[in-house]
Amino acid sequence: MAVLELQNITKRFGAATAVDNVSFEVERGEVVALLGPSGCGKTTTLRMIAGFEWPDEGRIFIGGADMEVRQPYDRNVGLVFQDYALFPHMSVAQNIAFGMKNRGVPRAEISRRIDEVLEQVQLPGIAGRRPSQLSGGQQQRVALARALVTRPDIMLLDEPLSNLDAKLRLQLRREIRNILSTFDCTSIIVTHDQEEAMGLADRIVLMNRGRIEQVDTPHALYQSPKTLFAADFIGHANWIGGTLSRRGGGAGVVETALGSVAVAPGGIADGAVTLCIRPERLALVDGEAGADTRLDAVVERHDPIGADLRIWSRLKDGTLVQSLEKNVGRDLPAPGSAVTLGFRAADCIVLPGARP
Amino acid sequence: MTAALLWPALVIMAPLLLGPLLALGHESLKPFTSGRIGGDDAGALTLANYAQIAAPEYARYFLDTFRVGLISLAFALLLGFPMAHFIVRRAAPVTRRLLIGGLVGTLFLSIIVRIYAIAMTFGPNGPLAGFSRMLGIAPSSPDGAELMVVLGLMNTTLPLVALTLIGTLQNINPRLEEAAMSLGAPRWKTFFQVTAAMSLPGILSAGIIAYAFCISNLVVPMLVGRGSILFVSNLIYFRFSEVANFPSGAALSIVMMVLSVALFYGLLHLVRSNWQEAGK
Amino acid sequence: MSGLSISKRLADALFEAAYLSLITLFIAFSVIPVIVAVVLSFDARSFIGPFPPKQFSLRWYESFLADSYYRDGLVTSLILATVATLIATIAGTLAAIALSRATFRGRAALQAALLSPLVVPNVVLGFGMLIFASRLGIIDGMTRLIMGHVLITFPYVMRTTAASLVGIKASYYEAALSLGAKPWKALAQVTLPLARTGILAGAVFGFVTSFDDVGVSLFLTDAYTFTLPVAILAQMRANLDLTIAALSVVFIVATVLLIVLLDRLAGLDAIVGRGVYGR
Repeated sequence: MAVLELQNITKRFGAATAVDNVSFEVERGEVVALLGPSGCGKTTTLRMIAGFEWPDEGRIFIGGADMEVRQPYDRNVGLVFQDYALFPHMSVAQNIAFGMKNRGVPRAEISRRIDEVLEQVQLPGIAGRRPSQLSGGQQQRVALARALVTRPDIMLLDEPLSNLDAKLRLQLRREIRNILSTFDCTSIIVTHDQEEAMGLADRIVLMNRGRIEQVDTPHALYQSPKTLFAADFIGHANWIGGTLSRRGGGAGVVETALGSVAVAPGGIADGAVTLCIRPERLALVDGEAGADTRLDAVVERHDPIGADLRIWSRLKDGTLVQSLEKNVGRDLPAPGSAVTLGFRAADCIVLPGARP
Repeated sequence: MTAALLWPALVIMAPLLLGPLLALGHESLKPFTSGRIGGDDAGALTLANYAQIAAPEYARYFLDTFRVGLISLAFALLLGFPMAHFIVRRAAPVTRRLLIGGLVGTLFLSIIVRIYAIAMTFGPNGPLAGFSRMLGIAPSSPDGAELMVVLGLMNTTLPLVALTLIGTLQNINPRLEEAAMSLGAPRWKTFFQVTAAMSLPGILSAGIIAYAFCISNLVVPMLVGRGSILFVSNLIYFRFSEVANFPSGAALSIVMMVLSVALFYGLLHLVRSNWQEAGK
Repeated sequence: MSGLSISKRLADALFEAAYLSLITLFIAFSVIPVIVAVVLSFDARSFIGPFPPKQFSLRWYESFLADSYYRDGLVTSLILATVATLIATIAGTLAAIALSRATFRGRAALQAALLSPLVVPNVVLGFGMLIFASRLGIIDGMTRLIMGHVLITFPYVMRTTAASLVGIKASYYEAALSLGAKPWKALAQVTLPLARTGILAGAVFGFVTSFDDVGVSLFLTDAYTFTLPVAILAQMRANLDLTIAALSVVFIVATVLLIVLLDRLAGLDAIVGRGVYGR
């Protein structure tokens, strides 16, 4: 059963359409990320679910109930703000008790649940402190606890890790994941960080300019993006433009400036397309085996990135491409040397349209 | 919810704002018969009270008000800006607290007390009685009275100007001043070309607010103007207390109010439309 | 040394001298009159003679304490300032909160209208209120005074509270709503406690404005209800002795106490604000 359902939601601010005909569902226990660049409408969508903005068109259902006339305080959602919004004039315990008091939880139950939830977010013994006495990571966990303790139908997390430094972010990502699964909590996480979305979510709703580009699992979104935007926004990519045509059977051929490329086009219509090859699927070719398509190139430079080496090479038509090689002590072609790069037809994603 | 919060203010303030305004407007159109208190209710409404104000002997009060106000303001800014700068950039925490306490204290101290103290200090028997002679002004001349009014107005506006400018200067990044000096600008140049130049919108805003206070003053000319420097406020009060010519006082009030409001919002709008950040 | 610029050094030294003398002038100009008033209040002479006095006494304090005129004025002023501030603080705080959130057209115009008494000369407000009150048939001094003083204190309260609300993030209020608090409760438990410094500062400004007012009160007092500043003005014109100096010292002491209290309760820095780059 869907805990949350958005049906054709549209929101305009003046002449600008912030959210444009957005629909998706979130199942019980599922963690969904709303991912997209800033200004894509993801925060506005979150604020409409929380009840701080009202859709111009469309309907929102939480737990099967229509939210059309529900004020924020009548919706059973747990909201974690980007800046946490912990009340600075209240202690941690008072902050956590606030929601329970408003929802009529008995007094004895409140203090029991405060202890319990602080245990669960691994912050026992800080109940008496003020938010200003806590570190950023601790504040984050208290904000989570404050929202979780009221047992909301759905948790909404707005850029939960953006105020933390890189190392803490990685650690807290794991902790948030654990906490959300401990509570078996249906959640929506708004983020502009693809790694955060990939690391936290069961499914990703990718948004761009107020519209949904694709809804998929993190893996599928990376492996088989459906649009140029999706392929570009998530991960790195090499691009080759061309024209798709099917000669007779199902197998397609894309004519490019570098020659013909055999592809598996799926349902994409003949015409202008862009080929997307992920760097780890583009390899230096020694012998004859493996590659369906081969491209001559000249190595320009290497970027060591720890476990991998990123090799930048220039193709004959001047396009700069990147390929990843494992950093295993093998001799690699020096900058300036001519190489052959190859990829398999199955590793080449065909996307409709030409890149601008 | 928002509307509910506004109601108390609207219910209380609407009559208090509009009532006096309409009453003044109506009173100002009544004819005046000398010897009566207030306007003649039986007579036909007239613009005679306004026509009277255009006469040179009335215009003088307006000119004095705006001129003396401007002189006082200029001195207040001249002294106030370095003080605000000192508090924001140089003062140690203890000094800063003491100075701010002093400024707020001066602002809170009764204006009558402040002007009385000035009169005692710069008056004929005061320890600084020689101050006006030092400037080449005879203490008992009209210029001497004007000097006293300027000193009094300065005293009332200085803390206001300094406190407002503290707010302005606190929003200017001190790194910019350091950048200017590391680019070879001496301190004085940095002060004028970076600090003061960036504070200009704030200086103008502070000046406009202080000017509104100067030109509406009643107490300073009343206590130290010795009758030779009187502001429009004093004239309005005389119409009420000495001759009980309410219609004329009301006409003066309306004119002064229109001038003040137009000057204030007009200048503020000008500053804000030229510098976006000045509105803060 | 080649990099040493003598002319720049010299200009800076001159600049420093001018800068420091302006600051000294500021302080001297603010402090000397206060000292003079304090010294004169202890003058033993019965007339205003050359400064400084040779002999000291407490006679002016005695004469001030013996005068019931001032005491009556003080009582009226305290009652008036308290009532006016109370009304203005409640209405002004709520209005400031409403305006800080409002998005309706004409919001700026409404705000300007509510703040307009700051710009209009007090004499005009007082005179207008006198005529308005007499048209309404209100002749009671205290009622008229309260009407006039609410008018002049309201903008101070609203402006100061509005300034303090700028620093309170909207997310606190929204967090309270999403945790199930009704708007009134969110306001009472979150927004108002967070704004308390600003509200307190606004109330103090309002109180001082009312207590110190001359322009409005001169028109609205009657023979039985007069404020302390009006009483002082009347005495100043009647006889120029040094009772006023003694009274001034009382004012100065009260003001200092108020500032210390304000610093303890809210912190002067919180009232002035620290700004983006304040230390």
